[in-house]
Amino acid sequence: MSSNVFTIKIAGPAGAGIKSSGLLLSHILVRHGFNIRDYVEYPSLVKGGHNTYQVSFSKDTIFTARYQIDLFLSLQPKHWQQHQPEFTDKTIVISEDATTTVPLKELSTPLGSRIYENTICLAIACYLFSLDQQLCKKIVSDNFGQQSPNNQAFQVGLDYSKEHFSTQIISSVAQTSQETGLAIHDGNESFGWGFLQTGGNFYCAYPMSPSSGTLHFLAGKQTEYGIQVIHPEDEIAAASLAVGASFAGARSAVGTSGGGFALMVESISLCGAADLGVVFYLVSRPGPATGLPTWTGQGDLLFAVNAGHGEFNKIVLAPGDQQETFDMSGTALNLAAQFNIPVIVLSDKFIAESSASLPDLSQQKIDQIISTKPLPGTPGKEYMANSYEHDIDGFAIEDAAPVKVSVEKRLAQFEEIKKAIPSPLFYGSKTAQNLIVSFGSTKSTILEALSMMDNKDDFAFLQLRSVWPLNPELEGLLTPFTNIIVIENNAHAQMVSLIKSQFNFNPQKVLLKYDGRPFFPEELAKLLNS
Amino acid sequence: MTIDNIRSQIAPTWCPGCYDFIMYLGIENALKALDIPKEKVVIVYDIGCIGNMADFFKTYAVHSLHGRSIPTAIGIKLANPELTVIVVGGDGGIYGEGTGHFIAWARSSVDISVFVSNNNLYSLTTGQTSPTTPKGSKTKSTPLGTPNEPIDPVPLAKAVNPEIDAVSVDGHNPIEVIAAFKKAILHPGFSLVDCRQICVTFGKQLDS
Repeated sequence: MSSNVFTIKIAGPAGAGIKSSGLLLSHILVRHGFNIRDYVEYPSLVKGGHNTYQVSFSKDTIFTARYQIDLFLSLQPKHWQQHQPEFTDKTIVISEDATTTVPLKELSTPLGSRIYENTICLAIACYLFSLDQQLCKKIVSDNFGQQSPNNQAFQVGLDYSKEHFSTQIISSVAQTSQETGLAIHDGNESFGWGFLQTGGNFYCAYPMSPSSGTLHFLAGKQTEYGIQVIHPEDEIAAASLAVGASFAGARSAVGTSGGGFALMVESISLCGAADLGVVFYLVSRPGPATGLPTWTGQGDLLFAVNAGHGEFNKIVLAPGDQQETFDMSGTALNLAAQFNIPVIVLSDKFIAESSASLPDLSQQKIDQIISTKPLPGTPGKEYMANSYEHDIDGFAIEDAAPVKVSVEKRLAQFEEIKKAIPSPLFYGSKTAQNLIVSFGSTKSTILEALSMMDNKDDFAFLQLRSVWPLNPELEGLLTPFTNIIVIENNAHAQMVSLIKSQFNFNPQKVLLKYDGRPFFPEELAKLLNS
Repeated sequence: MTIDNIRSQIAPTWCPGCYDFIMYLGIENALKALDIPKEKVVIVYDIGCIGNMADFFKTYAVHSLHGRSIPTAIGIKLANPELTVIVVGGDGGIYGEGTGHFIAWARSSVDISVFVSNNNLYSLTTGQTSPTTPKGSKTKSTPLGTPNEPIDPVPLAKAVNPEIDAVSVDGHNPIEVIAAFKKAILHPGFSLVDCRQICVTFGKQLDS
C-alpha cells in the first residue's frame, strides 16, 4: 500500500445489517486510534436492493472517504461486480462468488441465521488489518451484549480467517497505540448536538430522508435534556409550531429536506415579517419533486437563498462537514436569537448521513446569544408578532410613510447581519496559480483530493460558509486570482449564479456532478489536473 | 383586568352590524369574567375579517398566516404552558386552508381554545364559497352553485376526539357566545366554539 489511508467497503441487500456492522467497524477503528470518514449508499426501500458502507481510515488527518477500495466484503453473491471500477489490482474482494471465497452461508448455519454473516465479515476485516483481537471482541460484546450470538459469529470469522488467510495480506497498517478519545458522529447527529449545546429546546420535523436522523437523535434526548421534540401532521405545521414556540421564548428549529422545505417556505417569510428567530435545517437530496430520496446533491442552494415571498432578511449557512454542522447549528441558533430572523442551515445527504471521528460533541458547549425580545407573560410589554407590515407595537400599517420606515429598518438590519455572519475560509497560499471556490459538502472532498496531489501547492481553496448574505470580503479574496475553478454537486452551477449576482465573477472552469453521488477525492484530483 | 386595558387604540373596522363585534366583546367579557392576567393571554389570529381583530386588542398576540393559526398557537402553548392561548379565525382559515391542522390538533389534549367566526363565506376576499357554504349556493367563485357538501365542524372534531369541548353557538346571541367562550377557556384541553353567523355584506348570496 502506497498510501496511509485504507478503505473497506461492505455491500449487501437492505436488512442485512450493512450499516450497523459498518459503523461497528468504524467504532473499532477509532478505538484503535484511527481517524475515520465513512460514506453510505442505499436505495429507498427496507428489504433487498443493494446497500453499501465504506469507511476510510488513517492515523493521519483524513477529510472524506476514498473511492478506491482495499478490502471489499460482499455479504451475498452478486453484490461486488458493479464495484469493479473502485478496485485496484491489490483490492481483496471477499464473497461467496469472488476469487477469495468465504462460505458465509455454511459458516452462519450453526449460528441459526444468516443475519450473523455481517459480524463474520466484520471479524474477517479486523483480522486482515491485524487489529487487536481482544479489544475487537470486547467492543463487539459491549455492542451486542454478552449473550448475543454475534460474539460467537465474530469468533467464527476470526477462526476461519486464521485458518485461511495470512495476516500479511494487508500488513502495513501502522496502528497507533493510544486511544484518541474521538467519537463518531454523522452530520445529522452533529446538528443535534450543536442544537443541544447552544440551548436549543424545541425541535419539530416531519420525517424526510436524509434529515430524519436529527429527529430520531433529538427525540431520544428529550428526557435527558428537557427539550420538546414534535413530529406533527406535516411540514407546514412543523414550521408553524416552531414559529409559535419562538414567539413564546423557545429556541426552536425544524429539520427537513427539499420537498418538506418547500412547504415551510411561507413560514420563512412569516419569520422575516414578524421578527421571529427560527432555525431551518435543510438537508438536500436531489430533486426535482421526490427526486432521489437517499442520494446527495447541492441543487437547493438558490431555493434556500430565495426561500420566501417578499423582501426580508434571512441567513443561509452552509457547513462543509460534520464538525462545521455542529458549529453552525449553534451559530444559527445564536444568529436567529440575535436578529430575530429565519436562519437556514443548508446541508446535504453526503454530510448528514456520513460519519466522522470527531472530538466528543456531547462534551462541547457553545456560548449562547439570547434574544432580547419581550416574552409573553411579562407584564406591560404586550406586543404582536404580525404577518402584516406593522409598526413597532405590531399593529398593521398601510400608510406610505410608516411602510417605508419599516422596510428601511430591515434594510439597515441587513448591513448588521453582514458583519455577523461567518467569514469565508481560505486554505493555501494567496499566490497560488489556481483558486478553487465551493460551498458545503464538497469541502471535505476538495481537501482530501488536494492532500493526494503532488502539485497541491498550485491550488488555493476558498470555502463559502455563509451563502446568504455573501460576505463582503469575498470580493477581495477572489480578485487576485485569474484562474478560478468552481466545484458544485449540481447541474446548474447555482453558486456561480449567486456570486455573479453580487460580484464580478468569471470562473475559468466549472466542475459539476449531478448523478446523486458526491465527488470522490481521486476523481476530483484528476479533474483538477485535467 | 379592566375592559380598557385589553383594547388597543384602534377602533374596529368591521362593517356596521357585523357579528364579529359580538365575538370581540365576547372575548373581552370572557377574559374579564375569568380574571386572567392580561400578560398571560396570547391570542393567535388567522387571516380574514375576524383576524383583523388583531389590531383591536393589545395583548401578546401573533397575527399568523392563513390557515396556520392552530399550529402556531400549539407551539406557543407547548413552549409555555402557563399561557392562556386563544385562536381566532374564520371558516376559511380553520375549516378550509387549515382543515388538516384542525383535525390533527383536535386529536390532542393541548389546552388551546379555538373561536371560529363561521359565516359560510370568504368575506374579506369579497364573498367566495367556503367549506361550510351550503351545497348549491351561488357565490362569486361558484356562480353555478357550490358543488360540494359542507363541513359540519363540531361532529367532525368530536369524531376524532370525543373528549374535546366543541360546540356550535348562535353567533348573533352575545349571551351564548360569552358563555361558550368562558367554558372553552376553562376546559383543560382542546376546545372549539363555532359561532354561526351571517355576513351582513355578502351573506345574501347564500339565499340564492
